[in-house]
Parts: sequence; C-alpha cells; structure tokens
Amino acid sequence: MVKTILIVDDSTSMRQVISIALKDTGYEVIEACNGQDALGKLTGIKIHLIVCDINMPVMDGITFVKTVKQLDHYRFTPIIMLTTEMADEKKQAAKDAGAKAWVTKPFKPPVLLSAIAKLVLP
Amino acid sequence: MTAKVNDNGILQIAIHDEMTIYNAHSLKEMFLECCHSGTQELQVDLSAVTEIDSAGVQLLLLLKLEAQKHGFTLRLFRHSEAVIDVFELLKLSLYFGDPIVIHANWT
Amino acid sequence: MMSDLNPALETFTQEVDELLTTMEDALLVLELTPDDVDCINSVFRAMHTIKGSAGLFGFDDVVAFTHEVETLLDKVRNSERQIDVELIAVLLACKDHTVQIIQHALSNENEPLPIALQQQSEALITQLTGSSPISKGMTSTQEKKTDHFVVDINSSDSCDNWIISLAFKQNALRNGMDPLSFIRYLQTLGKIIDVIVSMPTSLCMEELEPEDCFLNFKIAFSSAVDKKTIEEVFEFAEDDCDITILPPHSRQEHYLQLLEHFPEDQLKHLGEMLIEIGALTEKELDCVLREQRNEHKAIIKPVGEMLIAKNILQRPVIEQALIKQEAIKQKINKEANYIRVDAAKLGYLINLVGELVISDAAIRLMVEKHGLSDVNNVVGAMSHRVEEIRDTALQLRMVQIGETFTRFQRVVHDVSKELGKQIQLQITGGEAELDKTIVEKINDPLTHLVRNSLDHGIETPEERIQAGKPEKGIIQLNAYHDSGHIVIQISDDGKGIDSEKIVAKAISKGLLKPDQIVSQTDIYNLIFEPGLSTKEEASNLSGRGVGMDVVKRNIEALRGSVSVDSELGLGTTVTIYLPLTLAIIDGFMVEAQKERYIIPLNMVEECVEMSSTEWKIDHVQHYVNLRGQVLPYLRLGDFLHNNKKHQPTQRESLVVVRFGEEKAGFVVDELHGENQTVIKPLGMLFENLKGIGGATVLGSGDVALILDVQGLIQYAKKRVSPALALSMND
Repeated sequence: MVKTILIVDDSTSMRQVISIALKDTGYEVIEACNGQDALGKLTGIKIHLIVCDINMPVMDGITFVKTVKQLDHYRFTPIIMLTTEMADEKKQAAKDAGAKAWVTKPFKPPVLLSAIAKLVLP
Repeated sequence: MTAKVNDNGILQIAIHDEMTIYNAHSLKEMFLECCHSGTQELQVDLSAVTEIDSAGVQLLLLLKLEAQKHGFTLRLFRHSEAVIDVFELLKLSLYFGDPIVIHANWT
Repeated sequence: MMSDLNPALETFTQEVDELLTTMEDALLVLELTPDDVDCINSVFRAMHTIKGSAGLFGFDDVVAFTHEVETLLDKVRNSERQIDVELIAVLLACKDHTVQIIQHALSNENEPLPIALQQQSEALITQLTGSSPISKGMTSTQEKKTDHFVVDINSSDSCDNWIISLAFKQNALRNGMDPLSFIRYLQTLGKIIDVIVSMPTSLCMEELEPEDCFLNFKIAFSSAVDKKTIEEVFEFAEDDCDITILPPHSRQEHYLQLLEHFPEDQLKHLGEMLIEIGALTEKELDCVLREQRNEHKAIIKPVGEMLIAKNILQRPVIEQALIKQEAIKQKINKEANYIRVDAAKLGYLINLVGELVISDAAIRLMVEKHGLSDVNNVVGAMSHRVEEIRDTALQLRMVQIGETFTRFQRVVHDVSKELGKQIQLQITGGEAELDKTIVEKINDPLTHLVRNSLDHGIETPEERIQAGKPEKGIIQLNAYHDSGHIVIQISDDGKGIDSEKIVAKAISKGLLKPDQIVSQTDIYNLIFEPGLSTKEEASNLSGRGVGMDVVKRNIEALRGSVSVDSELGLGTTVTIYLPLTLAIIDGFMVEAQKERYIIPLNMVEECVEMSSTEWKIDHVQHYVNLRGQVLPYLRLGDFLHNNKKHQPTQRESLVVVRFGEEKAGFVVDELHGENQTVIKPLGMLFENLKGIGGATVLGSGDVALILDVQGLIQYAKKRVSPALALSMND
C-alpha cells in the first residue's frame, strides 16, 4: 500500500521541494498551505503521516495539531513538526499538543526523509 | 467482517478491514465474542486485511493467549500481504504456527 | 537522485520576490507606526520562510544571513529590542542584500559567496547585532565520527548481535508511535535476526483497552552501524518507550581494543570514556545520571554498576574502562611528580659537582698538610655531604634501560616478517638503571647485535623444525647490575657460531696462523675483528661483517666491553659490560714510577703487600701465583713506560683486578687508597694511549691517569705463555 503524507507549510517552494523528494522516494503527497487549508483536506482519506510547520498564517501548526487529535479518523496519525532551533518552548508546546516528532529548520531533504522513514516507510 | 459456524462446530471469521488502532475497539469486541462462543476451533481469515499495525498485532497475540486459556484452537489462514509482512518482520509465524501461503505473484 | 528541482527553484524565486516586497512594504509602514504587530510579524515571516526554503536547497550563505536577521526580528517581536528609524534602514539594506545573495545562489549553485558580498553580509550583521557573526554550519552537514567496524551481515552467530530491548508505554500508539514503524526502519540499517514479542501475562482480552500499548520487544540485530545510529532510530519514541541497546560480543572486543588504545593524556569520567569509544550514548548516560541523582544518598550506586544492571553494557567493557581510568590516573599522578629538566643544565650541574669533589679533595689535603686537627671534623662532615651530593646528582641522570629494550619489539616484529622467520623477543631486567648518555650511545650497537641475531642467529621455521626446535625462535634481552657495571645480554636460541668456520676464515684473512692454538673464547672474539663475517651472502640487515668491530669500538669508547659465547646449534649470547656512569667514579689510587694512577674501585678485587708471602711472580712463564691461583700480571710502571725496566721499590704491592670473568694482577710501587674520581676526557693527543681510559684532577691540582683495566688485562694475558693461557681460560 502506498503511504500518503500530508505537508502543511505556508512556503510554496518548501512544499514543492519536500513533495518532490517524497514522491521520488515512493510516497503519495498531499499539500496544504496552512492549518485551516489542511483540515479541509482531511476528508476521510487515509493519511499515514503529517509534516507540519509551526509558524503559518490563518491557522498555526499547534492549533492544527490540537484539532487533528480530536478527529476520529486522524487522531493517531504520527505528526512531524518543523521547528526552528530558537523555539524550545514551541517544541514543548507541539509535544503537548500531540506531535511527538520534529525536525529542526533549516534542514536538507535527506534529514526530513529519514525522520519520516522512521515513522512510516514508503 | 463476517462470521459463520461450520458443520463440524468450527467458528470461522473473516476480517474485511484493516487491523489498526482506529478499529481496535470493534476488533476487540468481535474477538471477545469468539472467545465466549464456546467453540472448539476458531479460524480467522486474514485475506482481506489491508493494513495491520501494532494495535492489530497486539490483539492477535492476545487472542492466541485467550485461545490457550479457554482451550480452543486458533487457526489463522489466508494471510494477506500486509499480515505476512508484519509476521515476517516480527518473526511471528512460528509463534502462531499456521502455514502461510505465499502467493506466486507476491514480490 | 532527486527529480529536477528547477520548477521548485522557480517557485522559490517568485516566493522570495513576494515575501521581500511584503517585507519592504511592512518596513515602510513601521517607519510611521513602529508598534504595528502585524507588520513586525510579516517582516519576521519573510526572513523565516526564506531561511527555511534556502536551507532545503542548500543555500547555506542565505541561511546564515537570514538566520541573523530572523533572530533579531524575533527579539523585536518579543519586545526585547526597540524598532526605530535606524534599524528600519538597516533592515531595508538587509532586504536588498538578501535579493543579491539569493541571486548569486541561484546563478552560481555551488560557488562560495564573492568576497564583496560576504563582507557586506558581515557588515550588515554587525550593524544588526553589534557583534561579528560566527560562522554557523547547517546542522545536517555536521561531521559524523565514522566507526570503522566491519560486520558480516550474513553471520548467524546468535550471540553476536545487538540486543535491542523496547518497552513501549501505554500511550505510544495514541501518539502515532507505532513500534512496527521503528522496527521496519531498523531493517534498513541491518538484519533483524530474531524478535521476541511479549506482553504482561496478566493481560486479558476482556479488560484490554485496545488503544493502549502493552508490547515489549527484544530484537537481535546484526549491523555494522554504531550505537548512536541505532539509538537515533528510536529518537521519536524516546518519550513513549524505554530503550536499551546492548552491543554484540564482537563489538565488545572492539570496545576493549579502543579502550586499550585510549589516549592517556587526560583523566575522564567513566561515562565520557565510554561515549568516546561509542559504547555508550549521551542519552543513555544522561538517563543513568538522572536516575543516580534521584536515588537516596545512602544507596548511590556507581555508574558502571548501573550500566551493567540496566543492560546497557557488558561487564568486561566497564571493567576494562575502569582499569584504563585507573591507569590514566596513575600516569597523570606520576607525571605530576616529574619536572622536565634540560639535559644541558643537568650536565652543567654534574660538572660543577665534579669540581666540588676536586675542591673537597684539595681542602682535605690542605687540612692534612697543615695538621689542622680542629678543622678535620668539619671537613670530614663536609666531605660526607659532598659524596651524597655527588651520588644524588649522578642519580639524576640515571634512566631505566627498559624503554630502549622495548623499542626492539618493533624491530623484531618487522624484521622477522621480512625474513619469513618466527621470532619472539623476551625482555628481562628492564628496570636496571644506567646513565642517560650511555643509554643513548648503546642503542646503535644494541640494534646491530639484535639484527645479527635476527639475521644470522635464528633459523627459518623449516630449519628449526628439522633441528628439532620449536618453530618460533626466541631472542632475549636481559640487563642486570654487577659491581658498578651494568651487564646487557643479547641471547638467541638460534644456530650458534661455527668456530671451525671462523678459524678457517681468520686463517684465510691472515688473522690467525694455521698452526696457532687458540682458545674457544679467542675464536669467538675473532668475530669482533675487522673484516670477518661467516655468512657467505651478506644481507641488507646486518651487513657484510663490517659492524661487529664497530660495535666493539663503540662499546669500548664507553669504557665497556663485549664478549660472545655460543654453542653450535643451541644459540649465542653476547654480553656487554658497561659502567653505570661516565662522570664520577670511586677510584683506587696507586703509584708506579712516581706516576699516580686510578683504578676504578669496583674493579679492585684485593691488594696484597709485597712483604706478604702470599704471592710470587713466575718470570719465565709470566704469571703470578697468588695463594695457588694463577693470574696474568703487569708491572704497571714498566708497561706504561714502554717497558723500561726500573728499580722496584721495597714496598711493591699487587693489586688484583677483575673485569667480568677475567682477573689479573697489577704490580705497583705504592697504594694510596680510595679516592673520588671525576673523569675528565683525555685530549686528542692521549686518545690512543694504551691502557689509559681517562684522566682526573687530584686535590693537589695534579693530574692522575685512569687505567683502562679491561684493556690492561688483555695485555697481561698476551704475555702469559700460550699453553698456560689456554688452561687459564677454560
């Protein structure tokens, strides 16, 4: 079964690069540009993992994660947060919200790929 | 999922779904029913299991324990690709002791 | 390889364009309303987003620069820094600069930033932060320590695997941490040999909360990766799982080896040592230390014990680390008690002590001469102190010979391989001490002798087996003290010296007359004659027979001697006698024909006065009969004065000297007794004076010559009639 990953980030180029890397590795990718947008895509389709930025307009990452944890179909989905090195308290907030994995920005694609592979192999 | 009882008193069930944490509650209820049915042998058809995670494995392991406790035989059969994959990974085939048929087209 | 990134780069360019335009607009608004939070946020987000994307493309220069701007803006957001017109001006400049460096990155992918742009980056950062930037690498490009460890992935040896124990906590599954995912990922790093899945036995279907996790795993894993890499597989499960990773046995050997070669320059904690060799990870150590802190003070367990109890490491590794730690501790303590001193300074001190010894002798002489009995006691006490100072000063230069010996391990190892021989070097008596100068000078002769044994002494394994000897030959280096000398022996259990061959060779070279009767010792000593080698083909190691004479000369230059003993087929032993020091000795002063001579005291066996009937000279056969013992002898006065006979005094005495195994008698006119002798080198003029090894200055200012006892014994022996000489030797 092909694994589907949802990328939530406000930077188009960021989504694009991640998405190219993931598709190359053998994942299915769905993109969303903020939390609100992402929630709209969680319509019952199978999502194996969510990659999510924290700092986004409209709906930030932490609010999004808290919401996902309430959704029947998605509450157990592993979530990787993209954090910055300066935001240790943000990392804790994300963990408390229910995102247990993280990758520190800025990163190069292989770093994110190996983090994803630990949770969901292609 | 479907359940039927054979002529020779064997309870046969088929799981037509994934076996994950999302449906762990309903799987548990079904297994519990089987345990209490008083059957001599429980056969579980795994051919339609599209996905199985740790919660699913945990339930199968517990079912095996319950079978020993209640004194009935547990037989898993027609393992799907997803199930075989996990059994291989965790070296569980021997534990369950059921013959696993590997399909010719399975790569 | 990744697919074409060009479309993504295009998007990036557009995005940057938009973000920077927004940034500029926001900055201009901020000029008028500096408190506008939305504007501050959008300026921050512009830098934040550009940094993130630039990182993905690997534009490290852009990341480094935007990181600094982002950090500053974060401070502004948190009201740690006020925004004002000046700062806005700098930020506008930063925006323009960002455009430039991104343009550079896009058009010259892998080239570094031109110096002009780089300097501009630095200047702007300085303006922003008030301090110079510290170059900061990407976290992902951090250099990893490589662990050169090769494992046969196909090896099925059940005990040679990593044992990974995972005890997942109840909430693991709810948190999206599926144990199966990690185990699957583990498979990409090696081979899972076996898995044991277990659950608490009390668990039953009825009471199961199926979203809870009760699974424990024990995984036998075969892989060449290091412990840290394995630990990183489970990094996300950390909060939801207790993890222990026990290294395989082969890895244990590897750790033990690493510990053996652990640098000894710094004392480290056990944990630090184990992390450094890769046996322990920082996380494991943190965990154990935290637990240790939480325990009651009274029952605190050492870290090592905890690591064993928690199955993080095996006992042998811990024990080895503790042993090493103790060794380092001792070494450092020892080093702390040493002071490095310039050898020249030490030499100067010893020279001064030498002068002091002479002055002391002079004072004593004066006291005696003028009969100053009341000064006598004071002078006696002072002389005693001077003697102590002398001994202590000489002790300063003493070093153990062990280190010189140990160096030959390598020589033996390399050369035996080269020659296809199996040879073991045994070292004994390495703790014997001698003067540093002598140690330095003995190295060359020693090397030559060891190589000789390697080359000519020890046979090839085949020859040895044929001779009924063990395949592996043994070379032994031994040292011990013997009456003021150090004796160094190089022995091997090789084929020994064929004396017939030597005699034949010596005759052909004209060193011996065909009919000459020679003792076994003399035959062996022929080896030290120039131009004699019994090996038909010279090897590149010990050469062509040059060397042994050089060896002998070098050793004699140190006032030492060398001799050989051998048994055909069983081996050879070369024995070197060396004085312990070259600076000051206890001497025994004698007089012959009005000249004073010094004999090193430790070579004097006994003195017998003329009047006694205990000794008698046989002038015909040229020996002295001392209480029935036959000794070669010399009349020192006659010998050292080119055999000019003189009238012996009435008080003639016999001094019996011994060097090694050999003895001789010196007939002298007078005995003057013991004397501290500071050895002064002879001038060039006297270098070849036979029988003289050095000179010393007496308290009176006169010069006395130091006798070369060993040389004189040889001369004495030559005078004895050959037949008698043979019987004396054997």
